[in-house]
Amino acid sequence: MRRINYGQIARVLSWLLIIEAAFMVVPFVTALVTDGKDIAAFTWSGIITLAVGLAGTVFIRPSRNNMAKREGFLLTALVWVVFSIFGMLPFIFSETEPMGVTDGFFEAMSGFTTTGATVMESVSDSSHAALMWRCLMQWIGGMGIILFTLALLPMLNSSGGMQMFNAEVTGITHDKIRPRISQTAVRLWGVYISLSIVLFLLLILGPMTPFEALCHTFTSISTGGYSTASSSIAYWHSYYTETVLTVFMFLGGVNFGLIYKASMGQPATLWRNDVFRSYLYIILVAYLLFVIAIVAMGQYHDIASVTIHPIFQIVSTITSTGYTVENFEAWGQFVLALTFMLMFFGGCAGSTSGGAKIDRLLYLFKNSRNELYRVLHPNEVATVRINERAVPTYIVSKVIAFLCFYVIIIAVGGIALTACGMPIVDSFFSSFSCLSNIGLGAGITGYGGGYELVPDFGKWILSFLMLVGRLELFTVLILFTPTFWRK
Amino acid sequence: MKILIAGAGEVGSHLAKLLSHEQQDVTIIDTDADHLAALDSNYNLLTVRGKPTAFSAIHDAGASDCDLFIAVTPFETNNITACAIAKSFGAKRTVARIDNYEYMIRDHREFFSRQGVNHLIYPEYFAAREIVSSLRRSWVRNWLEIHEGQLIVVGVKIRDNSLIEGKALKEIGRDHRFFHISAIKRNHETIIPRGNDIIRQGDIVYFTATSEDIDAIRAICGKKKSVIRKCLIMGGSRIAVRLYRLAGDAYKFKIIENDRDRCEWLAERCPNANIVHGDARDIDLLLEEGITEMDAFIALSDSSEANILACVTAKELGVRKTVAEVENTQFISEAENLNVGTIINKKLLASAQIFQIMLEADSESPKFMALADADVASIEARPGSKITRAAVKDLKLSHDMTIAGLIRGGKGMLVTGDTRIEPGDNVVVFCLAGSIHKIERLFT
Repeated sequence: MRRINYGQIARVLSWLLIIEAAFMVVPFVTALVTDGKDIAAFTWSGIITLAVGLAGTVFIRPSRNNMAKREGFLLTALVWVVFSIFGMLPFIFSETEPMGVTDGFFEAMSGFTTTGATVMESVSDSSHAALMWRCLMQWIGGMGIILFTLALLPMLNSSGGMQMFNAEVTGITHDKIRPRISQTAVRLWGVYISLSIVLFLLLILGPMTPFEALCHTFTSISTGGYSTASSSIAYWHSYYTETVLTVFMFLGGVNFGLIYKASMGQPATLWRNDVFRSYLYIILVAYLLFVIAIVAMGQYHDIASVTIHPIFQIVSTITSTGYTVENFEAWGQFVLALTFMLMFFGGCAGSTSGGAKIDRLLYLFKNSRNELYRVLHPNEVATVRINERAVPTYIVSKVIAFLCFYVIIIAVGGIALTACGMPIVDSFFSSFSCLSNIGLGAGITGYGGGYELVPDFGKWILSFLMLVGRLELFTVLILFTPTFWRK
Repeated sequence: MKILIAGAGEVGSHLAKLLSHEQQDVTIIDTDADHLAALDSNYNLLTVRGKPTAFSAIHDAGASDCDLFIAVTPFETNNITACAIAKSFGAKRTVARIDNYEYMIRDHREFFSRQGVNHLIYPEYFAAREIVSSLRRSWVRNWLEIHEGQLIVVGVKIRDNSLIEGKALKEIGRDHRFFHISAIKRNHETIIPRGNDIIRQGDIVYFTATSEDIDAIRAICGKKKSVIRKCLIMGGSRIAVRLYRLAGDAYKFKIIENDRDRCEWLAERCPNANIVHGDARDIDLLLEEGITEMDAFIALSDSSEANILACVTAKELGVRKTVAEVENTQFISEAENLNVGTIINKKLLASAQIFQIMLEADSESPKFMALADADVASIEARPGSKITRAAVKDLKLSHDMTIAGLIRGGKGMLVTGDTRIEPGDNVVVFCLAGSIHKIERLFT
């Protein structure tokens, strides 16, 4: 095999840094128009990022500019790491709540991967600029850094860009909606931005201030889950806000290609899609079970406690957003177990959500059912059918391999965390929570965030797990195989 | 341009990759999911699984707003049906690959356009034409006549007896002003040469000139004229039959085919040719059939490797002119280095013609040349287009293209830096792969 084209990778990374610097303008402006804190931190971070980016684009002139599969994987994985490294600068430079490198990187990685786990002790004391930056990171990361740049940079509108698209977009197979990759990216971002604008307008009609509304727009459509209040959405006590957020978190868990097609005058495609239907059914079944559990635990207070609260909690969990309602703990152990289940499911592939994705579970479930049937009818040829198409067996085996790796990584991550001195339940739960990009914590970490108690080494492990989870395992894992680096 | 391709066979896949590389919006339809998956994950294009003749598949692929619909499945009836369906959805132009000479006749055009088929491509026919023209002028590798021979593009392999070998282009230009060196094929790549480039031994040089100067080019290349009469064909493929029909009585053909039934089929279609049943890779058989007496050896079997090796053998046995059909594109430059005289590739012929159709030029006559990584196109300059705005040297053309000549008022002429292209001129352009879209912008 050829040598990896490092020059071109460095050059594209530099381009991307310039884009990141442009994003830093948003919190900078926020600081100017709101509380005026941390202006210096964002100015310096922006300048450093821009300078490194410009230096890279000016001085790095690769002899070849082609990119193949390996460059695609390496670049995609590196982009997320590099973005997090520069994304943590404002937190480190912050005057209001300065962080160390470990905490800053954890916070930035948690932001970009839309995990939503936070090490900030008191969110409400932070500067508006820092809060805005956290939320903006989730918004960029939700749809994908690569996907954003594919829409912008014409130089990636080639086979190399294709490889990066495949490496970043979630799901087993990657449906393009237009022939050229940049057009696909433009349309997906178009859907994303339109939904964000609608959500923002709906939110400012409620009790939120424009600043809060914008932050929550960024974190709910991206299913990230950062909030501007320590007590999360419960802070506003508004059924209206909860309902609006539920709808848009739900949309954030749907395949954006599907939303695009549905909005282009084919709404029936939505209902015909097996994965979308399963997504709805899972939410409905979970809702019934939640209501039974809530009533059984004697937590029925008013009509909202059996309607909007459980639905909000279910959608927030299955889409890996990680917002929580007020008295979630009081609903009991059964609900907690169901929550684990939903965390594992995740939303649809091609959405902004985390988890194993319903598509994969659907394949696995149908395949297992076929195997069961074959016990009695060994000669029967049964295929896994999704959306009226038979799925080739190699895809089914790829899904099985994915889920196998998924469980192994959760286990290895959990064991590594116990080695850092964390209690066993918390270790496994946070390993699971970070790999699925949810960001809920249990035990010492407490509901609704609070990862500050995890030891430093543990934070690095969790940051790594978030990255692995966001890029759906293979893109990152392949970098740790000797064959990838062999000449 | 939005392009839809029905059929992901050899020609279809090749076109899809090429057009995607040319920055076009390509969607490809086929029934084979595995084949599509490979294309989908590696190239910048969209795939649709379905029958190329199914209304649903053609509609889903977006026929209603496509600029060009290309049907290249192995069956001509499917291709024509697919084109008719695409046209009914609103495809602007349709192209069908056919395999029947009758369909190419001008009188039948009307019928096809009523069916919704705008253009027909027939790679086997063009392959046969290419072979005939290479037999007629055995010293030439490629031969392309533009506008009824007003301008001619010839590809010649340069050996050490040539007068221009070892000289830089600007030196050659000082001595001889009657031709334009448009491209050089060296080892595995084609280059558009500049003044300082030096012509080396083993290069295939593409000259553009008017027809009266061709003999002079032959002289400076150090080539001799030789007349070809007797040809041995290996493999009784469709191209072989087409070649026989096209060449008529000018040549004496002997066809070696290893399938008995096929031999009888050939005997019916080619009454004046000798049909031999046997394996053309067998040297004894070749000697027995008089290979040493032959003027040309044409290898048209299904296997590219066998064709190349058989040509090398024929060359060793003293045959002057060899022609091989090489369908694996990566073997083409290898075959050229092994001194196979002319190389025929159906995929390249088909794609060269598609490019011509894309550039909205007249595609009835084959005004294109199929090279592995470059193309020659002849395009009419529209009034007000960018190309007409300044003299050629001031146009700042990119380095992957060159203007070789033009036809003005039905008369061919060469282009120098000072020439100013006028609207209505037919301009002959050489360009490297991946730059056709730039040309499109220059001329419209």
